[in-house]
Amino acid sequence: MNNVTLALDGAWKVLVTSLLLGAGLPVVFALGVRARALAARVATQDGRDVDGGRPNPVGNVLALVCFVLVLMGIALGITIVVASGFGKAVSFQHIYPTLVSK
Amino acid sequence: MTTATVLLVLVVAVALAFDFTNGFHDTGNAMATSIATGALRPKVAVTLSAILNLVGAFLSVEVALTVTNAVINVQNSKGAPNPELLADGGYALLLVILAGLVGGIVWNVLTWLLGLPSSSSHALFGGLIGSAIAALGMSGVKWTGDGSKLDGVLGKVVLPAIASPVIAGVVAAVGTWVIFRVVSGVAQRFSDQGFRWGQIGSASLVSLAHGTNDAQKTMGVITLALIAAGYWSDTTSVPTWVKVACALAIAVGTYIGGWRVIRTLGKGLIEISPPQGMAAESASAAVILTSSHLGFALSTTQVATGSILGSGVGRPGAHVRWHIAGRMVTAWIITLPAAGLVGAVMWYLGHLLGGVLGPVVVVLVLAALSTYMWLRSRRHPVDAGNVNDEWQPTVQSVEMERVS
Repeated sequence: MNNVTLALDGAWKVLVTSLLLGAGLPVVFALGVRARALAARVATQDGRDVDGGRPNPVGNVLALVCFVLVLMGIALGITIVVASGFGKAVSFQHIYPTLVSK
Repeated sequence: MTTATVLLVLVVAVALAFDFTNGFHDTGNAMATSIATGALRPKVAVTLSAILNLVGAFLSVEVALTVTNAVINVQNSKGAPNPELLADGGYALLLVILAGLVGGIVWNVLTWLLGLPSSSSHALFGGLIGSAIAALGMSGVKWTGDGSKLDGVLGKVVLPAIASPVIAGVVAAVGTWVIFRVVSGVAQRFSDQGFRWGQIGSASLVSLAHGTNDAQKTMGVITLALIAAGYWSDTTSVPTWVKVACALAIAVGTYIGGWRVIRTLGKGLIEISPPQGMAAESASAAVILTSSHLGFALSTTQVATGSILGSGVGRPGAHVRWHIAGRMVTAWIITLPAAGLVGAVMWYLGHLLGGVLGPVVVVLVLAALSTYMWLRSRRHPVDAGNVNDEWQPTVQSVEMERVS
């Protein structure tokens, strides 16, 4: 039954990491979308777009921050794929990601 | 040419054919949601996915020789074939591999015909397990491994098949639920436009991961065959031409596109919206990347299906067609025994006829079965033109029954 213990041990790690990256980043992206709409002051009422008044530039800044965060997350993901192909791994030992040999 | 050399050529050709079916069967894992929401036009989506699979395949320089070692006992821990299988130019081992590959292809093509997203890796494993049992008895199969790591049929196939779709589903459901909270009240043209870009990005990541994960399985199988026949001796690297051939085979397969499977994933399970599509693909990408980073085997197909279901569960008021999901799960459960049965029958066929004739007949049977199933598919063709047609449960079910 060792396999089952190992699988459960691995499963929660995958679940926690995937929740952070696979659900967390899309939510950040959604915040960015929301911020863009805030910038343009467009909202929906009864299924129709309505003008919300003066545009708000702060929204665009917030949106930019969100999208950059998401892009960094994707870059990290691609780095992990590429690195493992070349016998390297991405380590979070120093909190920020670094490349190390496997 | 000796008998074993002829057999080797057949194994390489059939392995590349398997890689091709692996590509077209799995196009939908990455691209079904983007196609369904219109984020990408169907042809653009498969082209993008094919290119990323090609790139991904070249990025996988990791030793893939131990792929077969996960489920059958034909190699030592370094990946070198067991010496007792190497008589007559490796004939015995090559026949096991050939029969196993045929089992995998037949199951892949059949599930494609039925529009069912089933795991290509499990089909390959099933075929190999069947032919190994036929050739070597039950001891030819590594059921549980030695307990030091997740290994064997239980650790590399059964447990991941239970855990990975559930994890992907939970992640996608949580993501979807929070996203809809965050963007409630936002004008739809903003959210749809934004999330389409998010979808394309996350789907691309899934395609890339697929190329690195799946192409190397075929690379490992071909390299093992070359070692068995004495044409390669290095267990730590894959010949360049094998890498190029496998990368091209999976990319061409992806480009051809398994439209029947894409349709089921994109339209059959749920009516998918751009935010759900992005949540689903992000969950898939995260689960696949995290698992392979931690060294766990999994099926990209099962993860993608779990994610799409999860994105349906997470959206308040969404309608999930559970009977279609149920049909998929049934297919997953019978993948291993069904592909195994074909693998075993093919091994007996090849073994009884023996010599050059046996393997040639096995390949001819494969060609005949594949052609037959392809002709059946022409009765109700699904292609880039009608992949997004409205899903009509009754008609679709009748079609599925009629084909099956």
